[in-house]
Amino acid sequence: MAAPLVRQLGCLRLTPSIQQPAIRRCISTIYSARREPTPLPSNVPEQFLSQLPTRLKKEAEGPKKIKIYPPPPSSRAACKDPVAKVTETQLSVLDPKGERKALFDYRRNPRSVKPGDILRVTFKNGDPFNGVCLSIRLRGIDTSFLLRNELMRVPVEMSVKAFSPNVKSVEIVQRSQIKRRRARLFHMRDRKHDRRSVENLVDSYIKQKRAFMGKR
Amino acid sequence: MPPRLPGKLLPLSSLLWGVPSLAPRIAARPFGIRSLNPPKPSRFNVGPGLPVLESTSTAALRRKANSLPLRSGAITTKKGMTAMYDPEAGKRTACTVLQLDRVEVVSHKTRQRHGYFAVQIGAGWRHPSNVKKAMLGHFSSQGVSPKRHVVEFRVKDESGLPPVGQLIDAAWFQEGQYIDARSNTKGKGFAGVMKRHGFHGQDRTHGVSLTHRSAGSTGPSQGGGSRVYPGKKMAGNMGNNQNTVQNLKVLKVDAENGIVVVNGTVSGPKGCVVRIQDAIKKPWPKIAPIVAEPAVEAAAAAAAA
Repeated sequence: MAAPLVRQLGCLRLTPSIQQPAIRRCISTIYSARREPTPLPSNVPEQFLSQLPTRLKKEAEGPKKIKIYPPPPSSRAACKDPVAKVTETQLSVLDPKGERKALFDYRRNPRSVKPGDILRVTFKNGDPFNGVCLSIRLRGIDTSFLLRNELMRVPVEMSVKAFSPNVKSVEIVQRSQIKRRRARLFHMRDRKHDRRSVENLVDSYIKQKRAFMGKR
Repeated sequence: MPPRLPGKLLPLSSLLWGVPSLAPRIAARPFGIRSLNPPKPSRFNVGPGLPVLESTSTAALRRKANSLPLRSGAITTKKGMTAMYDPEAGKRTACTVLQLDRVEVVSHKTRQRHGYFAVQIGAGWRHPSNVKKAMLGHFSSQGVSPKRHVVEFRVKDESGLPPVGQLIDAAWFQEGQYIDARSNTKGKGFAGVMKRHGFHGQDRTHGVSLTHRSAGSTGPSQGGGSRVYPGKKMAGNMGNNQNTVQNLKVLKVDAENGIVVVNGTVSGPKGCVVRIQDAIKKPWPKIAPIVAEPAVEAAAAAAAA
């Protein structure tokens, strides 16, 4: 412990004798060929094998392969649109011949019900309802149409589900007299365009029908 | 409760004036918040002939036993809504169409290992390159394909654990039985208090400016502590949280296409994942393994009579 532990601060001072090295060419800019990888020794001792990086290991010594099991058959691929499937099975029971569907498919079937037609609906319990068709709502099983009439001088509207088992029959009493330019005739609720009661028309239709059928 | 002296000071008195305890004192330095009265299970209080303590996991499982389904549920996807008609009565029922896709039992959770009984169910398929290695190994070790969705369904006991790899199809559910449907609701984003909590907002006029839909005051003045109480209803993210719809009747089952049609509505948008399981508030459905038990009881009753 002869040498003093504390050195003078002067030793830190930069002396003019220490000069910055001259600017040299950076080593990275000099082209040098890529070094050939050193080949592994053929006889690596077994205790060193685990230290090798995985890319240098042989197939048998590489990472364990995870076995992937195949998936079972997919029901999603078997049935892409389950809602349509459910609707279809419903319609096959409620409307086996597809008549009701054709009757309201006004986009495709030219003989279908059109907005503006006067309809007569008979329900399963025997009650009838007549009216002007204001709109047809095509929604698969939930397809419905809106009828407007006037009973006891009170305007009445009824939305009827086309495929409901409660609807026994739908008859077209009279086709629309004029060419309708829109699919929803809600302007017929205005006083100016209101069709008012269709009862007289339906009554004469029933009489005509009975005469035609040979009854009475 | 009167304040207590720190634990270290108490034995000092006994060392000075009392009989020194024979047990070696371990100087443990306390960290964090500790209970002053930590529960000490007494070995004289538990045993085969004694009632189960309320604060044990055995008692917790026993409490849950009546509200845990006997068998697993299934992962389904909500496909949309439609209606079903009863051809005789003419009654229309709004219904939701759910579809099962490659639903398999992935793994089990057991009382012995995990503390409870549950069935881990996977559904769909995910490309193996998109599955994390840990999960891939899990699927591989169980011998099932990589699944898109994996969830757990708690069951009452080990009799409700189907073998790993068993396919759960729509026929797992019966027409007429009741299920609980669990899914995430539609996300509404950051919503104000009027939409989120049904507040009335403020007046349109009478001097109100720019705060017609805001919450108003969030708490009392100095008397109330000059702070906003925890749980105060405020604006924030609405929706996209789990909701369970209980007691939905299964109207139709189509095992071939994996379709289960349930009565009414199920939370969430079309395409969301819906977990369905036997309704806990209805009698359990009569299925093959469960039918065996009443048969045994009937046989026992017949033997007694």
